[in-house]
Amino acid sequence: MKEMIKENTILWKDGTSKSITFIVTKDCQLACKYCYLVGKNTQERMSWEEAKEAIDYILGHEEEFQEESVIWDFIGGEPFLEIDLIDKICDYLKTEMYRRNHHWFNSYRFSFSTNGINYHTEKVQRFIEKNHNHLSIGITIDGTQRKHDLNRIWKTPGMEEGIQPKPEEEQGSYKDVVRNIPLWLEQFPGAGTKVTISSADIPYIKESVLHLYSLGIKEVNINCVFEAVWHEGDDRLFEQQLTELADAIIDGRLYEEYACSFFQEHIGKPMDHEHDNQNWCGAGMMLAVDAAGMFYPCTRFAQYSLRSKPAWIIGNVHDGIDKNKLRPFLTLDRCTQSIEECINCEVASGCAWCQGENYDAADTHTVYQRATAICKMHKARVRANNYYWNKLFRKLELQDYEEQKRKSNHKTCDL
Amino acid sequence: MLQYLIILLDNRSVSYCHYRPHPLSFPSPMGEGVLIPLEVLKAGIVFAMKENLNIQFVYPEEALPVEYTEVIESIDHTKIKPMAQAEEADVLVLTEWQTTDVESVQNATCIISASRQELKANIERVKSLLNKVARLNIVLTDIEAFRDEEIGGYQTLLETLSDALIEVFKTGRMVQLNLLTDRLLLTQMNNCGAGDTTVTLAPNGKFYLCPAFYYDDPSQNAGSLADGLNIKNRQLLRLNHAPICRHCDAYQCKRCIWLNSYLTLDANTPSHQQCVIAHIERNASRDLLAKMEAKGLHMSNTHEIPEINYLDPFNNYQQWK
Repeated sequence: MKEMIKENTILWKDGTSKSITFIVTKDCQLACKYCYLVGKNTQERMSWEEAKEAIDYILGHEEEFQEESVIWDFIGGEPFLEIDLIDKICDYLKTEMYRRNHHWFNSYRFSFSTNGINYHTEKVQRFIEKNHNHLSIGITIDGTQRKHDLNRIWKTPGMEEGIQPKPEEEQGSYKDVVRNIPLWLEQFPGAGTKVTISSADIPYIKESVLHLYSLGIKEVNINCVFEAVWHEGDDRLFEQQLTELADAIIDGRLYEEYACSFFQEHIGKPMDHEHDNQNWCGAGMMLAVDAAGMFYPCTRFAQYSLRSKPAWIIGNVHDGIDKNKLRPFLTLDRCTQSIEECINCEVASGCAWCQGENYDAADTHTVYQRATAICKMHKARVRANNYYWNKLFRKLELQDYEEQKRKSNHKTCDL
Repeated sequence: MLQYLIILLDNRSVSYCHYRPHPLSFPSPMGEGVLIPLEVLKAGIVFAMKENLNIQFVYPEEALPVEYTEVIESIDHTKIKPMAQAEEADVLVLTEWQTTDVESVQNATCIISASRQELKANIERVKSLLNKVARLNIVLTDIEAFRDEEIGGYQTLLETLSDALIEVFKTGRMVQLNLLTDRLLLTQMNNCGAGDTTVTLAPNGKFYLCPAFYYDDPSQNAGSLADGLNIKNRQLLRLNHAPICRHCDAYQCKRCIWLNSYLTLDANTPSHQQCVIAHIERNASRDLLAKMEAKGLHMSNTHEIPEINYLDPFNNYQQWK
């Protein structure tokens, strides 16, 4: 029965590879309203010299990076604004991993999360052709035009000076992105997109997921923002949208070919204090480096990601990694950072958190205070998720029963 | 639960722990130390009385005005004093190595803050002290600078102190030395309790988790007498919210949350240096116990210390998880 349901793609190497992020620029063509990068700017662009120092440090300290595989991740702002630098970095990485006989040479990927605007350009296309077998590229398209353009708007010249455009001056980016989706899917047929939900987006969730399916995107990874942006009644509306989406997916048999990360069979269960005590987030297992050559436990701890806390710097390309500053991350567990209500929650499983947001929202300088702004949204998701699986399994059971009955009738006739 | 209130009587009150006071960073209209205003002192005492807290007054080098003495004596308390004010001290802080020879250390509880190098250079003075004091607390001031290459050196230093203790024990004096005898007597963690069992009142009328936070940055206060005590994320200062420490049996470790905040950036996570140093001391305590048993020397209420094969429990963390 389960083989009839498309599942979300399992992470490369089961998610055990080292993720190393180059923050190549803090600039972006867009100014998405829900973006957690509060300090985007045009000045902090990574130089080749800084990138090379970072690579030399990382590859030169193989004993500190013993994971079997590596994902070289490129992030911004918008990473493809720095395609020339990225191309040079990737060429150097390949050459150096080979020259050093590094254990990552045959086990690496280059990963990008892009707004898709420059995807079709000659330089990006040349890069894709050159590295295709080692590439993962995700284009972010948020759904229907009205949902996408609600948040994902073009940056205006005044924004850097803090001048926000009037609503009538806002220009959405949907058309500039959607035109590149066919090319992207042709080059990466199994690729999924990432959709972000903030309070204003809720009414458009169902239409957006179905729209993305209609574009040929078979996997929609979708999540609510972790920040405290939710209003009274958002959870009910959210639940209603997901329930309607569940009906549409099941009635239209879309589950056979398409997946939506909102619906997962095993979420919404109580969690054991001891056996289910692992941390959710990979911060600290990852490494991020920015234009100044500073290392972070993940990109969310760089200053441009933080509203109210200082950057959590764990070292730099010259002095290496200060392991003391990684210890809090590597000893994190679920219960120590959670309040009693979360520890004893009856629908705890699948309730996510972002360590960076936890730190940013915490009352003190700590990664051990779990932010709970998404609590009511998670509970709403669980209710809709339960509905989805109860309805889907009942449908498949009945189908199975009908099929068995049909076969059994055939046999009787044969006799 | 809170049990102790430390009151710094002056912004130049003597340091009795890992931190060093930085008085020059506090502009004072008097050009020198800033004495706690009398009304703040009185309000602090009333606060302690209402919260059922034991008060520990920390004195500066300079003598206090008479009116202060009268207020201090209005409540039961402990006096932590520098040598210059040794009279009636409950705990004496030895601020100069030369002061180790004076009569007032006899049968006293004394504290020495020193780097490992200073300790090594003055080891004969420390040995001499062990023959006089009832208890000696040695506070290392260079934990953050400790390197793994120095493990052997610190082990040797503790071995020297351990041998000195044995010689004193042979005379029948069961002197206590925090680095080596505390672990023999403890069956659970005995950390400093900053922000959990203990809070500090500074001369500016504000509360701090411990004096180190005040001297480090006076803006990082935990409330004030005027607005009340406000310790944020207090649960993270407790042992059960310290993922490494709650599994650890280096019970004598002070688990200094100020050093944690400084070295690992999170108050509940100890640095590699703090863990290694505490485990070298733990293992040296184990060796001391073995030596005592071999010599037929007995101290009441000691406990066996199991053998372990690590110095930093962080390296074993995956097993505990």
